[in-house]
Parts: sequence; C-alpha cells; structure tokens
Amino acid sequence: MSTEFNLISELHDKTLIIKTEGYINNTGGEKIVQELEKHANINKLVLNLEKSKVVNSIGISHLIEVIEKLSQTNGKLVFTNLDPTIEKTFSIMGLFQFAEKADSIESALK
Amino acid sequence: MEKDSLVEKLTLQSESFQEGFEILCKSFTFDEMAKNFLHLLRGNFISTKIYLLYKATKDSDWKSIQSQEKFSDDDLSLLSLNNPTPIKYFRGEKYNAVVVLPLSDFSFLGILIGGKLGGGELNDFDKITLQILLQVFDSAHKSFINQKNEKKLIFELNEKVLQLNNLIDTGIELSKYENQKILFEIALGRIVILTNASSALIIISDVQNNIVENQITFPQNIWPESILSSPHKIDSFFEFDNMSYRIVLSEKETRGGTTAFNDLDEMLLQAVTRQVHASLENDFLLKQSLEKERIEKELNLAAAIQQKIIPEKLPKIAGYQLSGINIPSREVGGDYYDCFDLGEGKYALIMADVAGKGISAALLVSTLNAALHAYLEFNLPLTDLADKLNKLIYKASPPDKYITFSIIVLESDSGTLDILNAGHNPALLLRKDGTLEQIEAGGIGLGMLDLGIPYSGQTLSMNPGDKLFLYTDGIPEAMNSAEEEYSDERMISFLKENSGQLVDEFIKLIVEDVKGYAGEAEQSDDITSMILTRE
Repeated sequence: MSTEFNLISELHDKTLIIKTEGYINNTGGEKIVQELEKHANINKLVLNLEKSKVVNSIGISHLIEVIEKLSQTNGKLVFTNLDPTIEKTFSIMGLFQFAEKADSIESALK
Repeated sequence: MEKDSLVEKLTLQSESFQEGFEILCKSFTFDEMAKNFLHLLRGNFISTKIYLLYKATKDSDWKSIQSQEKFSDDDLSLLSLNNPTPIKYFRGEKYNAVVVLPLSDFSFLGILIGGKLGGGELNDFDKITLQILLQVFDSAHKSFINQKNEKKLIFELNEKVLQLNNLIDTGIELSKYENQKILFEIALGRIVILTNASSALIIISDVQNNIVENQITFPQNIWPESILSSPHKIDSFFEFDNMSYRIVLSEKETRGGTTAFNDLDEMLLQAVTRQVHASLENDFLLKQSLEKERIEKELNLAAAIQQKIIPEKLPKIAGYQLSGINIPSREVGGDYYDCFDLGEGKYALIMADVAGKGISAALLVSTLNAALHAYLEFNLPLTDLADKLNKLIYKASPPDKYITFSIIVLESDSGTLDILNAGHNPALLLRKDGTLEQIEAGGIGLGMLDLGIPYSGQTLSMNPGDKLFLYTDGIPEAMNSAEEEYSDERMISFLKENSGQLVDEFIKLIVEDVKGYAGEAEQSDDITSMILTRE
C-alpha cells in the first residue's frame, strides 16, 4: 500500500542532509534508515521534517535506530523545521536526549 | 601444566577477561557483540579458524555470523542441541572444540574452534579459558538483553504517555476547527498516530438518500477501496444531522509488518470518534445560535422600521379630536394606522393589518405606507385606490400574505365620510344618540386575489358628538389565560359606556381594559386603534 512518503538527500562532506515529505511510519522510517546506510563515515545527519506532519511510534523506533547507528561512529542526528506536534512527540519519546534540534538546515550545519 | 602455574596464568588473564566483558557490554547490536567475541576467542586461542554461528530458536537453522565460511552438513551436525555439555572437545579432528551455548533469550550461539596457529590441541589452560570466556559472553549477552528490554519498556512507557497526551491534544485541537474538511483531516492524522494505523478513511453519507457525499483518506492519495479491502481493519460509526460518518483504520503497523488492531486501538478510535461527533455538534449549535441571533437582529430592525412608519403624532383636525395607538406584540406584527392630511380640510384615516407577523409582514406594511403616500396625492376615488393597492400588494406579497385595510376620507367642514373597507374589521360609528353603525362596505383584503373583483365604497356623514372608532383584531380577539376572547360585544359595550371620555383618555382606558382582561396571558397580537370625535 502506498503511504505517500518521499525523501531527498544531499551529502556535504561528512554531513548527510535528508528532507522528508509525508507520513513517517514503518515505510517512511525504513527509507530514512536505508538512506543513512547508503553513506559510510557520516558524522552528522540533518533530518529536515518540514513536510512531514505526522509520525507514528513505529516511525520513531526507526529514528531511534538512526540515532544508535550514528552513535556507533560518534555521529549525531539533528532534526530541523519541526512541526510543533512532532516536536512535542519527540520530546515525550525522549529523542532529544540523544539528538539535537535546530530551526533550519543552515543553523544545523553550523 | 602445574596447578600453581595455571592459577598464576589465569590470575594474569583475569584483567583481560574483565576488559573483554566491558567491550562486549558496549556493543550496540548482537552482531557487534559477536564480532567482538570472535576477536577475543581468536586472540586467546591464537587461531584464525574459529567460527561463530547463530540459531534464533531451537527449530531454526544455524546461520554463520562474522564469516563467509561455508559449513558442510557434517560441520553443522556437530552443533547438536542434544550434547550433554555445551563444550565438546576433539583430538586430531578438523575442530579442537565445538560449543553450543544456550542464551537467555532461548537462542543459541555455536562456536567451531579449529586448529591453533602452528598446530597443537587445546591444553588445560585453553579449556579453562574457553569456559571463562563463555561465561563472560553469557553474562554480557544477558546484560545486552536486559538493556534491550529496558529500552523497550521505556519506549512503551513513553508511547503510552504520548498516546494519553495525543488524546488530550486531539480533543483540544478538534474543537478549534469550523471547516469540516480540516477537522476530518486532523482527526484522521491523529488517530493513525494513536493506533499506528497505516492509513485511515472517513466516509460521509447522506442517511436519507443513502448516498456517499465525501470520502477523505490519510495519507491523502490512497484509494478508499484499498483501505476497505484491507484484511486488518477496524471502524467506528455515528450519525448526526441526517448524515452518517464512518471512520475506518487499516493495517496496524509493527516493525515486522502489519498486525490486527487490539482492544486499546478500538477504544482510542471510539474516543477520537466521540471527539469528532462532539466537535460537529458544537459547530452545529454555534451556527444555530448565531442564526438565532441574526434573526433576532432582523426582527429588531423590522420592528424599528415598523415603528418609524407608525405616526408619532396625528394631525390636528379643526373641530375634531383624534387619537390612536399601536402596541406591538412580542414578535414583529403587521398592524398599521395613520392619518394623512390631504389638504383643503380633507384627511384620510387608515387602519390595516397584515396577515402574519415577522419581517415579511413589516415589509408589506412598509410597501402599503409607501403606496399610500404615492397614490393619495392623486385624489383617486377610493374604489380605484383600493384596486391599485390590491394589484400592488398581490404582486409584492407571497400567496399566504394579504392586508385587511380600511380607509375613511373625512371632509372636515361637512363631516362627510367616504369609506372603504377591504376585508378589515368594520369601523364603528357611534352616533351621539347612542346608535351604532358598523361600516363593512368594500371588498376582499388587499393582495388576496387579483381577479378584478370591484371594490365598493360608502358615504356617511359625521355629526357633532358622533364618534368613529377604528381598530384591528388585536382588541376583540385578545385572549385571557382561559383562552377566551375579549369579543366584539365587550368592545362595543366599552365604546358606548365610555363615549363621554376625551379621545386620548378613551384610548388609554380601552388598552387598560383589554390588558386587564388578558391578565397573565401573553399578548399574542398587536393592539391598534384610532378614534375620531366630532366636537
């Protein structure tokens, strides 16, 4: 079943920028993990969720997997352009203990 | 090997075992832990021919980990779960030792230990070292599983807190939106988060005609049919304001695929459905309240228009006394009275009552007033005037609306009364000697029919001491709490008994009498009257 999820990515040195669009569920979460796995030696992943307004807990479990994978190489995850509802969701799920947030991609890259 | 020497070597190694345990415990994944363990084994036994295999359950196949080595059936047959001890040692075989280590999560770690670099079999120290390393791995694995379970528990706890928080937020958020499409989109987005549904659908149908009016999905580009045909789905339903609303969720997601929804999901769906229902009801009631407010404002405006039309002061007629009153009922009524000064000592007394109340009645009164202002200037015969007014009101009013109308043109010098009554209550002319004449000449009410039925008039003379009384049905038909009418008889008696009163006083007294008769009963119609006395 189509779940209307798309992503695009850009690599800047050792920083990977992923922009998502649509529902971050099992399918969406898997695609984010797969995109990270395509790139070796990443020390920062910037995940722009400006066009993703809904994320379920299965999607969150994939994001936790992303955080764990990055931790293995001392990398970090930075969320940007978060919808207030998603920001609250991540906060409750404890993601900001292990990942950062920024207002924009530019500030995440600093 | 001497016992003392063995103890000495193991003591020296103990720090290395501790370090190995710490490395294993830092592993993020089982594969990473296995890889680190393999390094430990190879380092301790100075061998590259050590292989790890993993069996997830007792019925699953062995899978090689951290190696591309292919194992024969003979190799795998060595890894029997039925071995009496976890470790089996061999002499002069392909492998020096074979281990099947049961793990705390009911999986198994298989180890095949080949020859050491430079040859040689495992000595006592190696065997003790292997025992200790297996203990180290088992402890590290237990710690790994505990950490994994702890993470899972924390995740599930946070998920429950999130669900509760989402449910509260959903109620608040859904109450904000008047636009139904946005309301449904937000509700669907929220319920998929709460239940981990893959997709959701709301079907809105017209109950009476059994027609689907709209279908909204989340995500937006999914075919409703694909949701409805899903093997795993739950739904909820409610009806409101002749529409039915069915919310369907499909395919509860897990990391491994999809599964059936559980009781909690059903409860969450019902809770969000109730919130959507309440939001629609609140919106409906708010709109009703605003509509009521709008109608009340219109009625107040209509009442204000009507009160502007009713004259504040009647003209002074030399040799006559004239007084009139209009007391509107709670709703905007359609009573109207006036006295036009036509010049040259002529006056037109008007009494009218529109069938019905409200804005349409007020507008018809306004139309009649405007038409009278226009036509009376031309000094038309009353029958022609009534005919023109009839045609005008017929065109301007809905089929159930008409006006009962009475006009009396007084020539003040002579006392001549030119009278026409179009379906209105008869005017009463009380002669000085107490004789009463009821004047009914005229025709049908204005705007009832446009069939060219001619109106007829009547001419009378008003002498000094005579009284002319005009009224609407709000006086004789005023009811008391027993629903008994004031009646024409009582009104006529009152007129006769109070004929000596000045006109203003008479009007005041008859209103008091009617209100006194009605008592606590609500005034159901306008009370309007006018009296003319020739001095």
